[in-house]
Amino acid sequence: MLKIENISKTFNKGSINENTALKSVSLKMERGEFITVIGSNGAGKSTLLNAIAGNFPVDCGKIIIDNKDVTKFPQHKRANFISRVFQDPMSGTAASMKIEENLVMALKRGEKRRLRWAIKQRERTFFCEELKKLDLGLEDRLSARVSLLSGGQRQALTLLMATFKEPKLLLLDEHTAALDPKTAEKVLNLTCNVAEATHQTTIMITHNLEHALSVGNRTIMMHEGNIILDIKGEERKNVKIAQLMKMFEQASGANLNTDRMLFS
Amino acid sequence: MSSIVILGTLEQGLMYSLMVLGVYLSFRILNYADLTADSSFTLGAATAASLITSGFNPWLATLIAFFAGCLAGTFTGILHTKFKITPLLSGILTMIALYSINLRVMGKANISLLRMRTIFSDFSTFTHMEEYSVIILSIITVSIIGLIIYFFLETELGLALRATGDNEIMIRSQGVNTDIMKISGLAISNGLIAFSGSYVAQNQLFADVSMGIGIIVIGLASVIIGEVLIGTSSIGRTVLAVLCGGVIYRIIIAIVLQLGLRATDLKLITALIVIIALISPQIKNKLTPIYEKIQNKLTPLHKEKDKE
Repeated sequence: MLKIENISKTFNKGSINENTALKSVSLKMERGEFITVIGSNGAGKSTLLNAIAGNFPVDCGKIIIDNKDVTKFPQHKRANFISRVFQDPMSGTAASMKIEENLVMALKRGEKRRLRWAIKQRERTFFCEELKKLDLGLEDRLSARVSLLSGGQRQALTLLMATFKEPKLLLLDEHTAALDPKTAEKVLNLTCNVAEATHQTTIMITHNLEHALSVGNRTIMMHEGNIILDIKGEERKNVKIAQLMKMFEQASGANLNTDRMLFS
Repeated sequence: MSSIVILGTLEQGLMYSLMVLGVYLSFRILNYADLTADSSFTLGAATAASLITSGFNPWLATLIAFFAGCLAGTFTGILHTKFKITPLLSGILTMIALYSINLRVMGKANISLLRMRTIFSDFSTFTHMEEYSVIILSIITVSIIGLIIYFFLETELGLALRATGDNEIMIRSQGVNTDIMKISGLAISNGLIAFSGSYVAQNQLFADVSMGIGIIVIGLASVIIGEVLIGTSSIGRTVLAVLCGGVIYRIIIAIVLQLGLRATDLKLITALIVIIALISPQIKNKLTPIYEKIQNKLTPLHKEKDKE
């Protein structure tokens, strides 16, 4: 499904701020796989996701999705088959526009946008059904502006927008990190439900080691721009959080220094 | 005010409101402070005037003026999106470049359209409405264009344009090429502004190379006035508010002039309107705590009095 071959990325090349974020990373992903990505700050997790989504051109290497080389595709073209949910709940929706307007923009992802009245009754009915699944009471507020929603509601909405067109690949960049624990749990449950229901191929970055093992069916660990651990199947089932931390220390030769990982 | 003054004010207001709609598209919808407006307004007037004096059909000349404005907006858009020049600077660069181009288009600093065939003289002979012909034609034009823009903003493309101004990250991740959205938005915006300029020139029967100076600020003032007085609860209402804002601004100016201020003071007054509108939320924020403090101090006093 997704094949990444030796991609590298160095920011600010040739300056004192030179920063190699990805060092010849390769990754192969099958359809229906749900990868959770862990690693300390600056490990290159977000850079990897941004490289796949096309935020910037990679220095070298290839990104192939469904046997199609998308390395040279600009971001908006890749968006036709890649969906994203960002860490910041404000990033995924247009605040000054109505809920239904946001939804209809997501519904037209991958299609040509025309000079055609955007929202008709047929779309409204569909949105109502979809929003009911979120169980947040949003189905009665289709014409409310998104700026009136809470961060959690906005993130749930973004998740819905990212998935109801069933993208080939779903990228989640710590999408629950900015939410309060209860809302975060809810959004994560939603994520799992969606992923299971449609066998959605997904990559999720998380700082929560428990989630990293309980959610999805494969876990990779990154350190200094490399993938240092890749577990799935039986091997993953038998791993405990303490072991995961030990593995990290062994593989990277460094102490896992994030309190955030320990306490979350 | 005499009825001629009132009629003239409304006519001018309606013509300028098309420009205000253009400023609204760039400033509010695209969230792009586009200074091209100052020169694209003149460009519209200059294009129409010089085409008319060389014997062109005035309707066709007006249409060409619109497309000239689109071209100016496209240029600004390309400077910003393809070459990463900041919005403000790319607008200023186009504005300055257009100043020379406008002089080239006109061949001199101003063109008179006295006794020329204009869209207004055509409309007047066609409908036999004499003194009301200008305002009728203006109302028709503003209604049609207002409706077109409103419908456009509710289409799939229109939503993508609005989202580009609201949240670029989001709409790009939904597969929209935001560069093209910005360029076409600026093209339509400046097209409308030039179109408005061509109307104004044909109404006042001359085009002048400096007639566009300060247009962007007039546009902003009108947008703000309209939004405050009429509201922004929906897109349709906002478009209406913006168009009315253009007319209301002209009425305010007419009243100020009747009160005895000089025409040369107008730009100062316009700037003051915009400044007041921009700083009023901050002043309100600063005043609210003080107001609450006073209230809190007052309430116990009242209670004590009640006890007594």
